[in-house]
Amino acid sequence: MPHFTRTIPISTSTARNTPKPPPSTPYLLSDPPYTGQLPTSTSTYRTSIGATAIVIDNGSSSVRAGWQTDASPRLQFPPLMARYTDRKLNRRLCFIGSEIYFDGTARGQAKSLYEPGSNVVNNWDVQEGILDYIFVKLGVDGRDGVVDRPVVMTEPLANTGYTRKVMSELLFELYNVPSVAYGVDALFSYNYNGGNTGLIVSSANTSTHLIPVVNQQPLLGQATRLDWGRANCADLLTRLLRTKYPGLLTTGKVTDTQIEDLVRQHCYISLDYDAEMQRMLDWTGLEARDHLVQLPYQEKEVIQKTEEELRIAEERKRESGRRLQEQAAKMRLEKLVRKEQELEYFKDLQLRVQEAPNKKEARSMLEEEEFRDEAALERRIKEMEKSIRRQRNKDVGDLEEESEEPPTYPLLDVKDEDLDEEGLKAKKAQRLLKSNHDARARAKAEKEAEKLRQAELQRLDDIRRETDLDAWVAERRAARAGTIQRIKDRDRLKAELGNRKSQASQMRMKHIANLASDTPFGRKRRRGQNADDDGFGADDADWAIYREIQAGKDNDDDDAEEEGEDYGAQLKEIEKQLLQYDPNFTEESLEERRRDWTRSLHHAFHHGPYSYDSESARESAQLHLNVERIRVPEVIFHPEIAGLDQAGIVEIAEDILTDPLRLASHPARNDILKDVFVTGGYALFQNFEERLRSELQAVLPVDVALRVRRARDPVLDAWKGAARWAGQVERRGAFVSREEWLEKGGEYLKEHHLGNAFP
Amino acid sequence: MAPITTASNEETHAALLDALDMQKVPKPFRNPHYRAPQRRNKNLKQILSEAQRAQQSVLNTQQNSGAVTPQTTVEGDPASASLNPNPAQGSQDLNRLVLEKNAQQSNGTGAAATLSVGLPTSSTGPSVTYTSIQAAPSKKPKKKYCDITGLPTTYTDPKTGLNYYNAEMFKVVRGLSTGQIQEYLALRNANTVLK
Repeated sequence: MPHFTRTIPISTSTARNTPKPPPSTPYLLSDPPYTGQLPTSTSTYRTSIGATAIVIDNGSSSVRAGWQTDASPRLQFPPLMARYTDRKLNRRLCFIGSEIYFDGTARGQAKSLYEPGSNVVNNWDVQEGILDYIFVKLGVDGRDGVVDRPVVMTEPLANTGYTRKVMSELLFELYNVPSVAYGVDALFSYNYNGGNTGLIVSSANTSTHLIPVVNQQPLLGQATRLDWGRANCADLLTRLLRTKYPGLLTTGKVTDTQIEDLVRQHCYISLDYDAEMQRMLDWTGLEARDHLVQLPYQEKEVIQKTEEELRIAEERKRESGRRLQEQAAKMRLEKLVRKEQELEYFKDLQLRVQEAPNKKEARSMLEEEEFRDEAALERRIKEMEKSIRRQRNKDVGDLEEESEEPPTYPLLDVKDEDLDEEGLKAKKAQRLLKSNHDARARAKAEKEAEKLRQAELQRLDDIRRETDLDAWVAERRAARAGTIQRIKDRDRLKAELGNRKSQASQMRMKHIANLASDTPFGRKRRRGQNADDDGFGADDADWAIYREIQAGKDNDDDDAEEEGEDYGAQLKEIEKQLLQYDPNFTEESLEERRRDWTRSLHHAFHHGPYSYDSESARESAQLHLNVERIRVPEVIFHPEIAGLDQAGIVEIAEDILTDPLRLASHPARNDILKDVFVTGGYALFQNFEERLRSELQAVLPVDVALRVRRARDPVLDAWKGAARWAGQVERRGAFVSREEWLEKGGEYLKEHHLGNAFP
Repeated sequence: MAPITTASNEETHAALLDALDMQKVPKPFRNPHYRAPQRRNKNLKQILSEAQRAQQSVLNTQQNSGAVTPQTTVEGDPASASLNPNPAQGSQDLNRLVLEKNAQQSNGTGAAATLSVGLPTSSTGPSVTYTSIQAAPSKKPKKKYCDITGLPTTYTDPKTGLNYYNAEMFKVVRGLSTGQIQEYLALRNANTVLK
């Protein structure tokens, strides 16, 4: 789209959008694509002649293989191999293709033939396994210890010499293949679809190639590769979903094949990307654009109890409670009795001490019971009496409430001179007690007064409201606005303090430096003041500076939260009053309601038009695909979306066809434009050719005729073309025989018009 | 070894495992004396750098020996005459070589097209290599899309470098942690990579 127009979305209505009911059938994830064992068939091998070639399309999404005489490849499987030693069986196991999917361990051990993100074969052990598999399944019996059939194999455009060398080495030395031919899949596909002169746009699994062809001769010098394919789409979708729903994909709930399925099922190419993207999250029709994918989840069990069960449970609870209470009461009673006995004993002791014949006797009696003197015993007895009385009061209730008489402090009035040492000590204690008591009383009185004051305020407020409602409402509204503003200010300050260079944090640093400095500026020294005294603290407002610098601290979260709750509570209080008395203030105008999720773009993006409850296990295991549906396949037109620093296919095609250094003045240029040929797995995306056509038309001169067509079968035509090509007798010259290879070296290649050129 | 999908019980699963195992299938067509070379699995980067080194050495010998005229040097072409034999700048020269050759070819395709059996490329010098067919960076201005929702936008947050769609998304962007910011930037390869 060369014309980039953008309308700024302005929501005109402030009304709430109505949430949609959840869709009745969410999309589900597919099972691992285990397709069963591929059949082994020896019949074709036995009836074939020595020149019948084995055709292998060595693709990265799937390997297709068969005999050249087959109408379509009889073997199709992903290029994966899992080889590992099973500890339980103590045996080495090896699985190839989709057969790895039947078992968890095999799936985990699977290795791909290709290096991730490139179109070059990288893992030769896997390649060996795959070739073994193909030859076994095609029924090659290897009677002479060789694979005695020629092999036609596809390779990427401008394949690296090393890769071809190792592949040839494998085929000629390991399998003793008589001859091998290599060709480019896109060219085979074009040839199979009757192409003569045109531009091939082959967008496959790992890369996209644009190859101009004139009179069946590919202009390889003009061919261009864009490193983007279907596999990259799946990768991008994984990364997008991982940022969109953190934690949902990391648990290994979704496998790569399932992501590929999501791409296949839900993604399509938009005909007008920017405009469609703009509308993608609009509320209207969002339920149609938003695809809900439900991942497997474990519902939290909520056991519904019947009325009867609840009643019984309640009964049991009460019963056990009562039993506990009874036990406690019994224990308390026992304790009480014991205490009373003890009291009796002590009282007896007191009597005995008082009646003791001499002081020594009395002292020894006291010491036996670990009392210092008689007074201590007395105190102890008093204490016990008091506690017994209290307990009895509580448990048995047989004693009347102890009259709370104000304590007396007789010693305070006595002069110090009249008291001995003991007396002085007691006086001190009494004074302490008195001040304590007085302070409590004062606090109580203050509380009472505050309560009264509040009541008075409330009364005055009520009167004011009743007399002049409008003024009252205006005042409340102003207060509400003020609180909201304060909340906003606080948030902004917090955000600003996060930035080192913001004015707020610079001011803060200044304050701190100023406080720490020996000669603080900005504070005028008054005459006659002490030189060391800068007058800080003379004004109460001085202390606010500490609050200010404190606010910037990183660990002030609890503090800020405290304040935040304070503002929040204030706001709630004001809104409650307004709701009650202001006829114009409705539920709709509540601040919380302003943040309505139906108006939130973020919500639409994450949860579509449906309400979301983060507590629900079902809803938190849901993926919503909306913008991703067009964002992911769009990358081929705009690689910058995925951070790929290459031109999109339209720009590449434009460059090839209109750059004066390239094909602009080529005599066949207009013929090339008459046949833009789309093949490869990417062409399966809906709208691919339409989009390519409209975009190409926009960048080409007006008068040229443009025709875009798609391969009959974008996926299989490469193999079919290779099989047909192999069947043509005159093509036998393009095969490299074993002898030639031995003589001419590892990278030796015969050029033909459907293959690569020798570099 | 837990069955995942098809086999329901241990026994049938073991049987299936046995049936699918390729390890025990005899492969008489394999050459028993073949030994795989050491370290044959190379990643693309290694392959390309090795190829480049090889090509560079060929180029240098051509230039230094004087026995062979550099194939791409056209009489009176100052650009190719100034090819630098210094290997440090060799890669640039190599690229130019490819470009020149391609340009030449495209100019000459008029003639090539008339030849019905003429091969698309002659076997002289470096022409179509894996690196040379790579698409160049786009020359068009890059469009901005909201990094969170993907919607087209014009705003960028200078602090995080993330593009955002509207005020609501800006709030979201400002609420992200450093790790999340990097994750969003990584989606378009704009993240900071520490080495």
